Amino acid sequence: MNIKQIAKAAGVSVATVSRVMNHPENVAPKTRDKILKIMEEEEYKPNWFAQGLNFNKTKTIGLVIPHMLNSMYMEIAKGVEDVAQQKGYITFMCNVEKDKEIEKNYIEQLLTRRVDGIILMFSSLDEKFIRSVEEQDVPVVLIGEDKRAKGFNTVKVDCRLGAEAIVSQLVDNGHDSIGILYGNDPQQESLDMLEGYKNILKMSGIKILDEYIKPVENTIEGGYLGAKKMMAETPPRAIFTTSDEIAYGAMDAIKDSGLKVPDDIAVAGFGNARMSNLVEPKLTTVELPFHKMGVYGARLLFDLIEADGRDEENEDKKQSDPRQIILQTKLRIRKSCGHKERIGEMF
Amino acid sequence: MLKTNFLGLELKNPIIIAAGPWNRDGASLRASIASGAGAVVTESIVSDTLLDVRPRIACDENGAQNIRLYSDIQIEGWEREMGIAKSNGGVVIASVSAHTPSELVYLASKLEKFGADAIEISVSNPMGEGLEVVASHANIVYEMTKEVVAAVKLPVMVKLSQNTTNISKVAKAVKAAGGSCVSAINAVRGILGVDIETAQPTLSTYGGISGEYIRPLGLASVATISQTVDIPICGIGGISSGKHAIEYMMMGASAVQVGTTVMLEGRNSIGKIIGEIEEWCKNHELGSIADIRGKALENLKSFDEMKIEPAVSTVKSVPCTENCDKCTVACMYGAIKREADTVVADSSKCMGCGLCTFICPAKKLKLEW
Repeated sequence: MNIKQIAKAAGVSVATVSRVMNHPENVAPKTRDKILKIMEEEEYKPNWFAQGLNFNKTKTIGLVIPHMLNSMYMEIAKGVEDVAQQKGYITFMCNVEKDKEIEKNYIEQLLTRRVDGIILMFSSLDEKFIRSVEEQDVPVVLIGEDKRAKGFNTVKVDCRLGAEAIVSQLVDNGHDSIGILYGNDPQQESLDMLEGYKNILKMSGIKILDEYIKPVENTIEGGYLGAKKMMAETPPRAIFTTSDEIAYGAMDAIKDSGLKVPDDIAVAGFGNARMSNLVEPKLTTVELPFHKMGVYGARLLFDLIEADGRDEENEDKKQSDPRQIILQTKLRIRKSCGHKERIGEMF
Repeated sequence: MLKTNFLGLELKNPIIIAAGPWNRDGASLRASIASGAGAVVTESIVSDTLLDVRPRIACDENGAQNIRLYSDIQIEGWEREMGIAKSNGGVVIASVSAHTPSELVYLASKLEKFGADAIEISVSNPMGEGLEVVASHANIVYEMTKEVVAAVKLPVMVKLSQNTTNISKVAKAVKAAGGSCVSAINAVRGILGVDIETAQPTLSTYGGISGEYIRPLGLASVATISQTVDIPICGIGGISSGKHAIEYMMMGASAVQVGTTVMLEGRNSIGKIIGEIEEWCKNHELGSIADIRGKALENLKSFDEMKIEPAVSTVKSVPCTENCDKCTVACMYGAIKREADTVVADSSKCMGCGLCTFICPAKKLKLEW
């Protein structure tokens, strides 16, 4: 059955049936229920492609993910999808493997598929490229800090503050030699965390040593190798890693070297991925609100998509300025770095 | 008689149903409005609904403890719920809770669009927030309030916490940031009790204590704010009768919120409270409830201002057949004795502390200055 036949069966116009699908709140409840009942009985499925042509909307969004195997990106993606689903949208997920060319290529592909908007998660693209997408009337939202791309709707977390909090915690626990394993992604956040690490060491009068600062792949293996290298000469008393995955690898390396966490080397991660509460000893870390980041990314995008079709008459000017949602981290003190001072986490 | 202008809104009375699960969605808000309350506050709406904590509410004869009472409906869903809530009219205040100004701005602007009449910023919940609740930091409260005030056209009320050393400072920050009003107080961090047979605390983590337990704290907070900051106050904490509501108003509150009583005794308690206030106003020939605002503050003095009344105060000896002996036991100065059908007070020993006048169930004892 098509929309015309549904309209005929219900004794209403095609426009009314269309309204039931798109703006049910504008249809009298009695009429609406009647039409919905017929649709259900006839197992009517609207033709989304045709709908896209009519309303210039395909009800799809693109979500560009740096690296699919990292659970933090998947938790963010879940946040995006939860909102998209509620809005009746399909999410195209594109795994770009941290490669700029793949990322560009995927975005081109999304544009030819006429997505209604795109969310770029920790993008490596520059402002000019992203702007060119917007110029095609496809709204863009960034999740993650990107100092090279300013003036976009963005959801970000101040990771430097989070790193400062956790490194201070290590210093307060009496550790005076602290190493850092910082990942290659998310790029800007990792550099911010490195900066935070250095700030606290400087403030605490602890010497910053090059051998205790190691760039690594943001993977378990990266953490393992980095920790092995760091421990080759004089191991530090504590290691801070810019992701929980790196921390898992580091803990493994410490155990393989015949040392104990936290007795010989304390470990603190970043992110609070699901596993961090299960590894032994449980990982002290900084909670990143992954799901919330995704949820807000999607919210900002749908605000743009929905504002798009409307006249600008009653829209506040404020709305058209790019919005920034800044979220907060939270310490999760667990046993991997000793936990006498659990006050922050307990209450 | 009870009509009140609050937050620039015309309320038919100053009794507001506070944020909580009894106002968790459109239907329950509509039911709360139907109870006759002057306004209702939604359960606190957050950025991202969290997992449920179960169990999360406990109570005893003096109040309740909760360990998480936030809305489980995402902001997207509140468009629909707000429509349902307001379908029969009524004033709906949207409570929002978040950790950063940008989140609060987002939530508040959405709720403004969905039809809320005012915003209550609730950053004073003592659960899962570290020892220092957000509302104990005047500078953070200032930032949050300022950004929300700039983003919405609605009046903005900020809910304060007793878990701070200087509530007046925080209220001042709200005023400086352009907030329309403060509400005080939120639940106070506490533990309701411990089962000594199983060594189990009543609930599995620290929670917010509400009800009877916190009314004296709420009264003091409201009085402190009204004596130090020129900003309208909505009194909260342990209100279950008209008398309690009047007490808060006499301490300077323009309106009050009722939460735990609605939870434990149902929405009918609102009608009872309103009835009692009306009755009291009638008996005292008051044209408007606003006339009593701040009345008791004149009699609330600082330590320095208190006059030392006659150095030796005495309790008058009175005939008494109560046989409870509460006064003789409680008198720490050995001034009260029982003699046959009389309670005899020795004026040379009485220090005028006043305890016996409160402990006597028949209210027979009085201080004579």
